[in-house]
Amino acid sequence: MIPSLHLNRRVFLQHSTQIGAAALASQLLAENTSTHFPAKAKRIIYLFQSGAPSQMDLFDPKAQMEAHRGEDLPASIRMGQRLTTMTSGQKSFPVAPSMFQFARHGESGMWFSDLMPNMSKLADEWCMIRSMHTEAINHDPAITFFQTGSQLAGRPSIGAWVSYGLGSMNRDLPAYVVLTSFGSGRKEDQPLYDRLWGAGFLPSQHQGVKFRNTGDPVLYLSNPPGVDRQARRETLDEINALNGFRHSTVGDPEIQTRIAQYEMAFRMQASVPDLTDISKEPKHVLEAYGPEVNQPGTYAANCLLARRLAERDVRFIQLFHMGWDHHGGLPNAIKGQCRDTDQPTAALIKDLKQRGLLDDTLIVWGGEFGRTIYSQGALTATNYGRDHHPRCFTVLMAGAGVRKGYTHGETDDYSYNIVRDPVHVHDLNATIMHLMGLEHTKLTYRYQGRDFRLTDIHGNLVKPVLA
Amino acid sequence: MRAASRFVSLLLVVSAQAEPLQFNRDIRPILSDKCFFCHGTDANHRKGNLRLDERKSATTPAESGAVAITPGKPSESEIMKRIRLHADDSDSMPPEESGKSLTEAEKKRLEQWIAQGAQYEDHWAFVPARRPQPPPSPSGPIDAFLEAKQKTLGLTMSPEADRATLIRRATLDITGLPPTQAEIAAFEQDASPDAYEKLVDRLFQSPHYGERMAMQWLDYARYADSHGFQTDSSRSQWPWRDWVIKAFNTNLPFDQFTIQQLAGDLLPGAPREAVVATGFNRNHRLNGEGGIIAEEWRIENNIDRTETMGLTWLALTLNCARCHDHKYDPVSQKDFYSLFAFFNNVPESGTIQGASNRSGGNSPPLLTVPNQQQETELARLNEQVKSAENAVRALEGDLPRLVAAWEPRAKETLANLESPWTLLKPFNLESKAGSTLNPQKDGSVLATGTNPPRDVYVFDAPLPDAGASAFLLECLTDPTLPGGGPGRYGNSNFALTDFDVYAEIPGKKREQLKVVRAVADYSQRGWSIDNVLKKGKRGGWAVDGPTKKEPRKAMFVLEKPIPPQKGGKLLLRLRHEALDGHNIGRFRLSATAVSGTNLKLDGGSVPQEVTEALATASDKRKPAQVKVLHSFYRANVDSPIKKADAQLASARAARDRFESALPTVMVMQEQPQPRDAFILYRGEYDKPRDKVVAALPAALAPNKKEQLNRLDLAQWIVSPQNPLTARVWVNRQWERYFGVGIVKTVENFGMQSEYPSHPELLDWLATEFVRLKWDMKAIQKLMVMSKAYRQSSDVRPEHLATDPENKYLARASRVRLAGEVVRDQALAVSGLLVPKVGGPSVRPYMPEGVWDETSKYGDMRGYKPDTGEGLYRRTMYTVWKRTAAPPTMLLFDSPTREICTVKRSRTNTPLQALALLNEVTFVEAARALAEQMLKHGGSSKEDRISWAFQRVTGRPISDKERVVLVKGLEARLQRYHRHPDEASKLTSFGAWKSDAGPALPELAAYTLTANVLLNLDEVVTRP
Repeated sequence: MIPSLHLNRRVFLQHSTQIGAAALASQLLAENTSTHFPAKAKRIIYLFQSGAPSQMDLFDPKAQMEAHRGEDLPASIRMGQRLTTMTSGQKSFPVAPSMFQFARHGESGMWFSDLMPNMSKLADEWCMIRSMHTEAINHDPAITFFQTGSQLAGRPSIGAWVSYGLGSMNRDLPAYVVLTSFGSGRKEDQPLYDRLWGAGFLPSQHQGVKFRNTGDPVLYLSNPPGVDRQARRETLDEINALNGFRHSTVGDPEIQTRIAQYEMAFRMQASVPDLTDISKEPKHVLEAYGPEVNQPGTYAANCLLARRLAERDVRFIQLFHMGWDHHGGLPNAIKGQCRDTDQPTAALIKDLKQRGLLDDTLIVWGGEFGRTIYSQGALTATNYGRDHHPRCFTVLMAGAGVRKGYTHGETDDYSYNIVRDPVHVHDLNATIMHLMGLEHTKLTYRYQGRDFRLTDIHGNLVKPVLA
Repeated sequence: MRAASRFVSLLLVVSAQAEPLQFNRDIRPILSDKCFFCHGTDANHRKGNLRLDERKSATTPAESGAVAITPGKPSESEIMKRIRLHADDSDSMPPEESGKSLTEAEKKRLEQWIAQGAQYEDHWAFVPARRPQPPPSPSGPIDAFLEAKQKTLGLTMSPEADRATLIRRATLDITGLPPTQAEIAAFEQDASPDAYEKLVDRLFQSPHYGERMAMQWLDYARYADSHGFQTDSSRSQWPWRDWVIKAFNTNLPFDQFTIQQLAGDLLPGAPREAVVATGFNRNHRLNGEGGIIAEEWRIENNIDRTETMGLTWLALTLNCARCHDHKYDPVSQKDFYSLFAFFNNVPESGTIQGASNRSGGNSPPLLTVPNQQQETELARLNEQVKSAENAVRALEGDLPRLVAAWEPRAKETLANLESPWTLLKPFNLESKAGSTLNPQKDGSVLATGTNPPRDVYVFDAPLPDAGASAFLLECLTDPTLPGGGPGRYGNSNFALTDFDVYAEIPGKKREQLKVVRAVADYSQRGWSIDNVLKKGKRGGWAVDGPTKKEPRKAMFVLEKPIPPQKGGKLLLRLRHEALDGHNIGRFRLSATAVSGTNLKLDGGSVPQEVTEALATASDKRKPAQVKVLHSFYRANVDSPIKKADAQLASARAARDRFESALPTVMVMQEQPQPRDAFILYRGEYDKPRDKVVAALPAALAPNKKEQLNRLDLAQWIVSPQNPLTARVWVNRQWERYFGVGIVKTVENFGMQSEYPSHPELLDWLATEFVRLKWDMKAIQKLMVMSKAYRQSSDVRPEHLATDPENKYLARASRVRLAGEVVRDQALAVSGLLVPKVGGPSVRPYMPEGVWDETSKYGDMRGYKPDTGEGLYRRTMYTVWKRTAAPPTMLLFDSPTREICTVKRSRTNTPLQALALLNEVTFVEAARALAEQMLKHGGSSKEDRISWAFQRVTGRPISDKERVVLVKGLEARLQRYHRHPDEASKLTSFGAWKSDAGPALPELAAYTLTANVLLNLDEVVTRP
């Protein structure tokens, strides 16, 4: 190391500079993260269940539907609302009561179906919002809407907004990390897209860093074959020395930033393998997450990784678990999904709690919309399917700042319309931002002459779900 | 960044106080940002009946009775009272809930402006540019304008950069590639006074100029090789990309460049090249997700076209007017949908048509684009069709005679034509997923009731007496099925994944029989009947239901025939497990025991009308009956005409096969019956309100003609009266050459744009561009020839203090290279680059799993890098999947190409460092550079390092730089000599094989030195 180059040791992960002198200032800004008011949550673990879990088979019991089994969905309930073209041609819309048993759990008496034997044990940790609703009716626009506040491509994702607003809390890891896994309920569904964790029009360093399940967890993390850490250190010293010479000649502060970025890259080469190495986790911890924890790329493995990321103060950790799109054969498929997710989710929460991290970590669990009470395709005694349903669905929250053991909102008898306390996607996002210490109307970015924000021109804080 | 912009605006305040305030420069930015939201163009949202964007309204009493602005009298102006109120006061402005507030400096400035008479100006960008006189100066006009401004700021231009810097700067900017050492040497030695101009002229003639220009245009045009959205299957738009490169290289004037892309199909004669150009408006994403409402996405496609046109040519945010009148700019919601109407007549449904969402392909309207060789071949095949047609025609005259001669032998022919197929009558018919299967009189089965996602039809029938060796599946159309086609899906299609055959022979175990051959009379592209033979639920047999609603048949041949057996049963299973709802609608099953090898699908039965015609006396036959007999004869009786027919059929098939494999490009087309366009309430597809016709925005253009089309729109965009187009384009090139646009907000020229740093220079350039007849090379040459462009880029402390962003150009800008150029340069300096221009996309290295970790849909999975030249082509040819774009490009700030992007961020991140250090592309390039170093760099370490340093930076190495590099190299040489296995690992990373020689430890050590060089800031930065 050239001694004079130590000046930038304090640098934050990544930052944009088009303007020389401001470069160093922006590093300092980013390091001194600025919330709008004291944050309840320092970090968030967002467990996205992609494909849309069925609310009436998991969280929103409608025992009275058994009496209406096979009857056509009443027009008074459907109220002419649009359907996807997968079922709009169906001649009838037979009511399909859930096959699963529901019970109250915990002191709060929160309802869960028997598909979630582990998550239900944490009933008194959860806050359940049964009155979520959205605008899109197909996966791509709906999940894009959840993540960016717009159904169309081009806006920054929620994690990118938080990275932009709050910056990173550590100097060796990105501020926004994404982990993905395929589900066993429907093995091929649903694709995910870069844009879901993209930076949109924000400077691109705010894009989520998707940890990979094959090869290096972070792109290009490993040195090439035949180059060890010592050899890499030496090349970096040369690069930094030459960059330092260049800086003294041309005076461009951007060069100092580059030196700092190369140093951070070098640190990441150590910190990321340390993060992903679970060999030192005690046996009982591994067992708690279930047998798949040892298979990289599974939801269980990602939950454990999420805890390790949280411990290292990564600000925004987002898991995407695919496979919840159960148009047909729902009873079997949903069992698979719950096998994937129930135990690891519960283990993650208990693990965080036991380490004192749950107090300042926000947990969110949910998908992009809900599913229809009526069966897509044939309804039999043991089988049914459910189409997309944007009018109501359930999302769970836990952890920092969240009201425990509380169930918010209510749907009608058919879990088709909301009858009390609707929560729009923008409202949920406003509430998540609030818990992170950000006023959603104030976190804006000027682009194309307009101040954009995550919640567009909408969104209201959902106060009842706050602790 | 926030701190910096505050700093700059302070500067403006200070300088503004010295001279009279200018509305556009000093006042409009305040009013627009803080006031226009409620007191501007949007009539539906206006508060207190007060407009502050117009002087007349601002100076007359508002709803409250008060006068907002009394010119000359700030103290009598309501606006000043309100903005001075405490924020808690409910009358204070801007209201607290707006989240906006005025700084003290802004309040003062408003006060001063009112005191000076509150003069308004029209927004500069909406007024046609008037050609200003450059300030008197010995310099050229560009420098004269710049120097005049610098003088007011106490800045002066830097000295000219050295030759090495100049050639590197110009070559990277104009071609996107670095200069070669020979080019540098030649330029450095050229003592002629016009050496630099000759260099610039040479660069503009390079075929790589067109590539560099196209890179930027591909971002605007949201060009990609995939459809986008969740399945994101492939498309093939590269012929359009080739058109763009060629247009730049042949220096097509920008007005033509624009007209052809927006309306080439409407030009007289619709020249093919111009139609290819219209691919611009088809490069948007296409949604093929199951269950979508096509019209919703047709509207989105069209809105995308409208917005992209606005951003690309006008730097206007038209999208703001999708849901309501624009809050800042004079674009009403009606204007928006009137522009939308120009693009509304494309014959498209809104989803992917004529191709499969899963297996990809282009969606019509299409244009076939053969290359010269293919064109010749096509002409030859067409000629063969023609001569076969002539042969048939010549023989047709003879038909009556031939048929009459044949009639006595007709019975014999008929006997031979007995159908080999026996209809199967089921004793058990069942749907596994809930369809209702109804036997019909003609032996077919019609599916009704719910159409479940993935149905399996159970069809059990007695084994025919003769046994069975093959089955015929006829998929019939029915009026009760969607679109009257053969399938149950909404688009009339079906997808059959498996045809399972079981036999149950009394006393034996049920046995599954293997189907070894399948033949169909038609298969959709990517959905061949052969898929039915494959295991698994992916793929299957489909029949283009959306476009071809026709009956189809297929035959399935067993490996071993089922011998005759009394009481035997056939258990057939038709599985539809690939796509939801794609079940067959009506079908009929037959079996035969005829040996499979002799079977044909058209195992000809005798149509009833033939028998009837033959039974009718020849003089009593109706013309239709004569026709029936003639065609039956032609098809079934050996004769010269049957032979000629067969030849014609095969000539046509050959031509069609060839034609369907030719590359196509998605293009614009007007459907004969224009669609109505409407204002959409809140921008929602299903809430049409007032009908609109295609029209230009009222505030920007006079609408003279009654009926306008896309060609009129294109011509208006490039008419000299258009205030925006020329300014927008020269400003974006300025940003490319100078680092910051004259208008910094290159993406927005509306009221919320940043005021130009040099308004007169901008107008001079815009009018010069028009005067030069939109000559893109000429206007860029003016920029590149300027003194400002040729200065040194060294940053002096006073630069950082006065002008950190370098808007005023007292130095040249150092700019990090675009991601594409970073890679192209590495390939070029290492000698790996394959500089071929144009053609289909290629597949260079990509880390495993980038496409597959998040998708099991579509045909863009299982990425395999090319072998050979595909690894080393310029980055702009890299295959682009929108939902999982080339990862290194994303790290280097490229957009995803899902929407039009006219400005990239320029970041500096550790992930970029990791890519440059470790990605195989860059490590392999380092190895190739190391070999060059060893081959051409002399014999000492010092010489070789100096050689390579000059190769990558364009300048000679300094002594202290050399010391560092030599020391590093020596350590590495020792290390790799001690660990030759490590050396061999490093030197075998990447596919490129050296013709080699150098000892591996040596090559490895030099490879890491080259790796250092390729990572230098100076190398990834335009100097």
